[in-house]
Amino acid sequence: MSCSNVFSAVFGATLSFAAIISSPALAAGSHAGGHGMHDMKIGTPGDPAKVSRTIEIAMHDNFYEPESLDIKKGETVRFVIRNAGEFVHEFNIATAAMHEAHRPEMMMMVEHGVLEPDRINHEAAKAMQASMGHGMHNEANSVLLEPGKSGEIVWTFPENTELEFACNVPGHYETGMHGKVKLSH
Amino acid sequence: MTIGLLRRALLLGAGLAASLSGAVTAGEYSLTVDPVTVDTGAFTRSGIGYNGATPGPVLRFREGEDVTIRVTNNLSEPTSIHWHGLILPFEQDGVPGISYEGIAPGETFTYRFPIVQSGTYWFHSHTGFQEPDGAYGAIVIEPTKREPFRYDREYVVQLTDAHPHSGNRIMRNLKMMPDYYNRQQRTLFDFLRDTREQGFDAALSDRSAWGDMRMMPTDIEDLQGFTPLMNGKSSAQNWTGLFTPGERIRLRFINSSAMTYFDIRIPGLKMTVVQADGNNVLPVPVDEFRIAVAETYDILVQPKEDTPFAIFAESMGRTSSVRGTLATAEGQKGDIPDLRKPPLLTMADMGMAHEGMDHSTMPMTGGTHTMPDGSTMKGIDHSTMPMPGGTHTMPDGSTMKGMDQSTMPMTGGMHTMPDGSAMKGMDHSAHGMMPAADPFYAPGSGLTPTAANGGKFLSYDDLRAQKPLYPHRDATREIELRLTGNMERYIWSINGIKYADAEPIRLQYGERVRFKFVNETMMTHPMHLHGMWSILDTGKGKWNPVKHVVSVAPGTTLFMETEVDAPGQWAFHCHLSYHADSGMFRKVIVEGGPKAKAASLTSVKGG
Repeated sequence: MSCSNVFSAVFGATLSFAAIISSPALAAGSHAGGHGMHDMKIGTPGDPAKVSRTIEIAMHDNFYEPESLDIKKGETVRFVIRNAGEFVHEFNIATAAMHEAHRPEMMMMVEHGVLEPDRINHEAAKAMQASMGHGMHNEANSVLLEPGKSGEIVWTFPENTELEFACNVPGHYETGMHGKVKLSH
Repeated sequence: MTIGLLRRALLLGAGLAASLSGAVTAGEYSLTVDPVTVDTGAFTRSGIGYNGATPGPVLRFREGEDVTIRVTNNLSEPTSIHWHGLILPFEQDGVPGISYEGIAPGETFTYRFPIVQSGTYWFHSHTGFQEPDGAYGAIVIEPTKREPFRYDREYVVQLTDAHPHSGNRIMRNLKMMPDYYNRQQRTLFDFLRDTREQGFDAALSDRSAWGDMRMMPTDIEDLQGFTPLMNGKSSAQNWTGLFTPGERIRLRFINSSAMTYFDIRIPGLKMTVVQADGNNVLPVPVDEFRIAVAETYDILVQPKEDTPFAIFAESMGRTSSVRGTLATAEGQKGDIPDLRKPPLLTMADMGMAHEGMDHSTMPMTGGTHTMPDGSTMKGIDHSTMPMPGGTHTMPDGSTMKGMDQSTMPMTGGMHTMPDGSAMKGMDHSAHGMMPAADPFYAPGSGLTPTAANGGKFLSYDDLRAQKPLYPHRDATREIELRLTGNMERYIWSINGIKYADAEPIRLQYGERVRFKFVNETMMTHPMHLHGMWSILDTGKGKWNPVKHVVSVAPGTTLFMETEVDAPGQWAFHCHLSYHADSGMFRKVIVEGGPKAKAASLTSVKGG
């Protein structure tokens, strides 16, 4: 995993949606704190200076290694995530309900040719952004990676919320690509 | 769950031990072919089963294993077993007259072959009508590697269409009177003759009369009066699979019917398709799917409530159904939905699909598309969005007007945007602009299935190979196979020639052959090539799904490609039992190949 790899993966790798009716300007804007769907209860983007440890996550087709996480309440963790599979995968920290709400958005990305099985089509994303007024933008709690790419997330976990890490590429969550985040003292 | 997990743990342990020692595991299995009683609740009749039961046992193999299967024929007639979808030496394929001579009464035949694949398959007799009479069972092959999905328990769900009459009797009746199990029907050829005699418009205006021609539902199902069974049980007998709420369950659907396609749904549950014909596909969440005769589909469901769910399989012609139940306790029954109305296969629409292939009549047209944001998208280049099926050759040899010659299916094509940028595979249905068209059904044929709940119905177009078995390359040649038939005499054929009169299809080892199926009949034909994979061309290149059965809908053209890598002689046929028997069948001979693999083709008797 090289630095340039990390950079290219993080850059534009995470995709999500503003509301469909929102303007391109808004969709392209900053969403440092999430965009309404998110909630402080899932935690917050972490301060790299406060990272207590680094956890490596390998994303395979279609499962994670490790398959669950043990995290201390309030802990700030650096995740180094590597896509070791042959298909695009996501590492996303949220509640089960948030993941469920996110899946139709990912399905739409597939339908628009933005999300191909093994690559992210940035041209299609631009076309979608231009025509539909919504597209890809970065989110602190998730990273979407093409095969062979790596990415990083620094995340401060909350005190007590039932969290899952999951891949919401269509069919991946449904077939088991998700794991529990066990929060302990 | 405990038992399922335990079994998997044991299998995993066994696989690990084998790989550590480097030894090849060897499994020994035995099957007896026995006279049995088929009891559907609606009727009881004599039939044929394995190890004393129909369906036969689920054979569980492991990828990499060398299997030895002893089959003892306890019948008073010859039999055979074909391992449907398995890649193996042709002498082990079990087709009398092609692979071997069959198994005589009282004889034991020993099959030996390596298991080189994993997934859900099945086995059945390839002799006479023993399969419709009950001679079928399931095969589950555990992979050596972790699968790309997780589940807590699994069930085989094997479907059939048990008929009160024996297969031989059904065939005699069909030959004597093709509408014996149906109402009178006419063929595409009759309609085309009408259009030549009356003119197309006159024929079209006649469409109200076509109900009197009794095109429906006879051309959807030419055999009715059967009782569908799920794992050998009718709706009343209610096959039940137990689950604990929250578990993820793998259901391995196998359609072992003689003649019947089923549309399958589990009301209240989203299903995620993970495998088709034994090969994993990129997972597709769906509400309903159609399973052609002889196909398999593996799906995952995750029921979270403590309540029974019906597994509901409705015949394509809507004449019958079978319900099983996913239950949290024995005795629970899922609600049985009403049968939907039969699809209206109208000659008018079929005629339009062939004769009126002017884009102005197609739903794809409409130069201006309004986008959700109110802007318009003008000038979509329709020349880059060909209609499904490519060229349709009419029975008289002419080609249809206005057809794009490209073979790219309609969805997944390239859409040119107003700004000149391209959007691949845009699904307009997501924007409510036009109905999603399944390119694997003739437009307007009335056959395109829709989900009972208005949701997603699986299309071949959704299937993408998880692990393509071969590098994608251009085919080295094309072979056209017109699927033809004469309902009046109940003769089904390929290129107008029935099996008894046909020369074998000769393939050369190492070629990649592109088969072009042109379905000129009003029936849907599930075409099955033995011994080699059928790579279905969905226009997805390297992602094209790898199957063993490809279903060709009426009035459509479908392409599949085969890497010719299995020397020997193989069967290639429509898997509808009575179509195969009446002549929609070919022998395929694969010539050449490496010395070690090249087959010695001695003349085989029997069959």
